[in-house]
Amino acid sequence: MGEVELHFKAAVPTFDACVFLGRRYNRYVRSDSVAGIIESMDRCGVGKALVSHVHAIDFDGEDGNEVLLQEMKGQPRLVPQFGANPTMDDAGQLIAQMRAHGVRSVRIDPKQHNYPFTDWMAKGWLDRLAKEGISVFVAAPQIEPDQLHTMLRAHPDLRVVLSEVHYVHTPWIFPLVRAVPNVYVEISRFVVVDGPKRLVDAMGLHRVLFGSRFPDSAMAPHLYGLHQMGFTKAELSAICAGNLEKLLGRAA
Amino acid sequence: MAKIVDTPVIDVHAHVGQWGAKFRPASPKMYVDIMDAAGVDRMGFNCIYFDDERKSHNVVADWVSKYPDRFIGVAFGTPRHPDETIPELERAFDQLGFKYMKIYPTYYTKPVDDPSYDLIFEWANSRGIVIMCHSSNVADWDTLTLPTKFIGLAKRFTKVKWLLAHSGNAMRGQVLAVEAAKQCPNIYLEICTSFAEAGTIEFLVNGAGEDRVLFGSDIPLMDPRYHVGRVVTADISEAAKQKVLGLNAKKLLGL
Repeated sequence: MGEVELHFKAAVPTFDACVFLGRRYNRYVRSDSVAGIIESMDRCGVGKALVSHVHAIDFDGEDGNEVLLQEMKGQPRLVPQFGANPTMDDAGQLIAQMRAHGVRSVRIDPKQHNYPFTDWMAKGWLDRLAKEGISVFVAAPQIEPDQLHTMLRAHPDLRVVLSEVHYVHTPWIFPLVRAVPNVYVEISRFVVVDGPKRLVDAMGLHRVLFGSRFPDSAMAPHLYGLHQMGFTKAELSAICAGNLEKLLGRAA
Repeated sequence: MAKIVDTPVIDVHAHVGQWGAKFRPASPKMYVDIMDAAGVDRMGFNCIYFDDERKSHNVVADWVSKYPDRFIGVAFGTPRHPDETIPELERAFDQLGFKYMKIYPTYYTKPVDDPSYDLIFEWANSRGIVIMCHSSNVADWDTLTLPTKFIGLAKRFTKVKWLLAHSGNAMRGQVLAVEAAKQCPNIYLEICTSFAEAGTIEFLVNGAGEDRVLFGSDIPLMDPRYHVGRVVTADISEAAKQKVLGLNAKKLLGL
């Protein structure tokens, strides 16, 4: 008979690197509020979550980030992440706002915002973010792997977290993470066999981040899977929280 | 303190053979190691990598022979070469001992209710066989295996037990899969998907009933540990978790 843990709780501190807040303009999601995020975190034993607002991605960074801060007020377990668009958002103004609110990462969506992720498009903007030690999160379906590779090479001080890596990205994700040291992988959609283990083998322990992309995926299943993958407690702690804490805590 | 429970865990949705174009080499030992890590007792798998059922079935039979107490053979049925279809299904079930059948309209490129499938369905109906079929509706274009297409089939072929792999995939498909299960007592839902929105397991169990939802992983596309995790961390009763993980499969497949 199979042995399973029917009432799982994580055995290490957890910091979810990929959570979204807000209603979608084009579809229903089962949770769209701060209360829903907190409820899910409590049920799964997730300690902290890095949260972006979908309005900042789908419509307007300035408005969406403002709504994010308002809705998250008084929730110390939720850590804000700004949505940003280098073709529209002034880097100086963005960084000032981020400093004012202690925000340490941005999420960009090049395909949705219709721009190539290239130096002629975003060099100055990325240089400013790198200088501030601000990390850039981008979903794998939002970017061309070759452009990402080129930009990671061109901006060695920039830290980019590739999120929502899916099994369709398997052919290029391993060569990419072996080739460049400044890319991290958030595992919310990377559910291939032994996925997190293979990433650790390919890129080292400290660039693999637990994330769920809640509410588009549940928070706990990856945590359960990580606990069955043969990692030591120290390794689990790094993937589930420590790596993200360090990344966001990088000195300016 | 974690509560470890001994309960049958049966993965009803798996694939074997080599898919080197996308994944690293697979082996029976590798699968058993992953099953052990995930707490999976038994796994039912098919091979859909050849458009030649005989070759596919030989691969499956070879794998099953390595761990017959852990692996369950699943046939692959396609009407592309209709003269070969039924004799090969008879070989799979009567000689190789396979327990149920997989069909995959996505590769056949015709809808699941295309009349060319009838020869398979009539044969399966005459034997009361379980047919597992990909089911999906992630967008308007995704209709070959629209879950509601199974309603008509389940009402025509009443002795077939229809197992809807992926339960419609994304949330819009899940709604249709639950609707199909509500209308037809011979429709069952299998959980694996890479969409897996929060609340999916709860929605399927509450909608179709805890007796008609089954655990599957789609290995090698996905890791069984992740999908076991979706069940054990769902907000459903302990009894329902045990049914979904294995008790329902045991009953449906007569294991």
